[in-house]
Amino acid sequence: MSAPTITVTRADAEDFLYQEAMLLDEWHLDAWLALFEEGGTFEVPTTDYKGWDRTGGGFFVLDDWDLLNARVKRLKSRKAHAENPHSRTHRMVSNVRLIQGAEGIEIKANFVINRFRDLTHHTYVGRYHHDVVQNEEGELKFVHRRAYLEHELLEHGARLSFIL
Amino acid sequence: MTQTMAEGLVDTGHGGLIAQDWNQLTFRVNREAYRSAEVFQAERERIWNHNWLYLGHETEIPNKNDYKVRTLGGKPLIFVRGGDGVVRAFLNSCPHRGTVVCREEQGNARNFQCFYHAWTFNSSGKLSALPGDDAYAELERFKGTMDLRPVAKLDIHEGFVFVSFDPDVPPLLEHLGEAADVLSMAAEQSASGMTTLPGIQRYGVKGNWKLAVENAMDGYHFAPTHNTFVGYLRETGFPVTDDDQYAHDLGGGHSMLVLTGHNGRLGMIWEPRFGEAEKERTRLNREAMAERLGQERADAIGDASRILFVFPNLLFFDLEALTIRQLEPVAPGRTDVRAWQYVPVDEEPDVRAMRLKTMTSFVGPGGLATPDDIEAYEAVQRGIEASKGDTRGFNDWSDMSRGMERESKGEKGRSIDEGAMRSFWRHWDKALGKVSDATATEYGSGC
Repeated sequence: MSAPTITVTRADAEDFLYQEAMLLDEWHLDAWLALFEEGGTFEVPTTDYKGWDRTGGGFFVLDDWDLLNARVKRLKSRKAHAENPHSRTHRMVSNVRLIQGAEGIEIKANFVINRFRDLTHHTYVGRYHHDVVQNEEGELKFVHRRAYLEHELLEHGARLSFIL
Repeated sequence: MTQTMAEGLVDTGHGGLIAQDWNQLTFRVNREAYRSAEVFQAERERIWNHNWLYLGHETEIPNKNDYKVRTLGGKPLIFVRGGDGVVRAFLNSCPHRGTVVCREEQGNARNFQCFYHAWTFNSSGKLSALPGDDAYAELERFKGTMDLRPVAKLDIHEGFVFVSFDPDVPPLLEHLGEAADVLSMAAEQSASGMTTLPGIQRYGVKGNWKLAVENAMDGYHFAPTHNTFVGYLRETGFPVTDDDQYAHDLGGGHSMLVLTGHNGRLGMIWEPRFGEAEKERTRLNREAMAERLGQERADAIGDASRILFVFPNLLFFDLEALTIRQLEPVAPGRTDVRAWQYVPVDEEPDVRAMRLKTMTSFVGPGGLATPDDIEAYEAVQRGIEASKGDTRGFNDWSDMSRGMERESKGEKGRSIDEGAMRSFWRHWDKALGKVSDATATEYGSGC
């Protein structure tokens, strides 16, 4: 990991998240995976989350690097029945904040994702809280990517078969 | 009930919604069973209101005055450990005028105060404050009738808390029958005891609850439905097989798949996904288990993965790791699901992290496998609209005949047959009885 620099701006973080949202909405999953540092993780805790770590409680998604790769491989397969055909997703990312400290770079943002499939529509509302690094080329990369749902529960049909 | 057909007698059960033909060796379920509002209402009244139901685990409310609210059979409940340490369940409805008393999801409270008129109940359900009580005649007698309403029955087996809205149900252990020991086999896995963790997966599926039961008792779907998950396991160096695996009818509508071909079990049977360090730890754990429980019991617990269904609303998965799943039907085509991780109390953090990661990779609406199951329930629920009202032959019946020939010869049912589903449906039919003439569809009328 490179040392934290002070060259990253909120606009850089926004560009990074907007680019990511586009890649996910267009189902360019290999390109999306390339936004991670090798060894990166992805977490979505349950909707009653109270701040526990990876040993303390329930999650919907608790991917290490191997599982993240397996998830992408699965979603690219025609045999990922829950996403064949793919959901249509439409992501809005806002309220972006960049926090740079001794620990590294954190990006926080709000999201609204509209998902359409089987003639139904679900809205997913929540917050992102990512740990990122800036590599030697100056690109931001996810180290820990986290999505927190604001929902009380996932309503009928609102599964997380796509990438939140 | 029987109906005569060209090929002989067909047993159409108590309500005409199942049909088994021991000559042709077929078993069919009428699709109204998944669609009909009348059937749904009858299930609520005759099954949910007259059976033991899984409410939760006592480790969810470990301390005095801990509570959770939860809905079972459509009834909002408070699941609470009183100030006296006793686990109880009350209707979450004020005895005064019916208001929901506790509007928080969970917490710790010595008292529950109804906001509407400020009636207050302690965590053992006793009415402790009644504002303006001088307006009631025979106050003490009156107050004595106004405690929170407890459920009719509550009993606990190995920490698994069951309730019934019917005071006349048989004792819990009698209801659980052979399923009781399967839960014990899970509870005995750690010398330190087992506990649920906070963090409940709460999700809803657009499918009838019985599709979720069928799916869990259906080894036949595993390879095609979970093609990508099986592929992932193979890449980790762990090929799974469906050979030599069996389904067991435990009686009382309960059933179990024993999955010896899917045997990566944390702490029990090592597989490459768990990493090298876990190999030695597994060996030591099995040794300790044998010492604690005896070799035979330790092997029975450790050597096989199990999926247990306890009629009507509990699924228990003792696989790579352990998870509890509760089904709450809310409409013919809608089911609420809650799922908990069930783990050894005393576990090293790296093993716990491995456990949670491994289970989460499979189960739940964000896993690599369960979403395809959900897709299956939902695709069935949509698909069966196609044959609604179609009286030609068996067009509006779902087929569960797989393995009937083996069953008719008294052979052991394979996990990839449909015997565990049949035993569920037979019990369901008996528990439900006849719903109405409209739903007692004539069987195979066009044949």
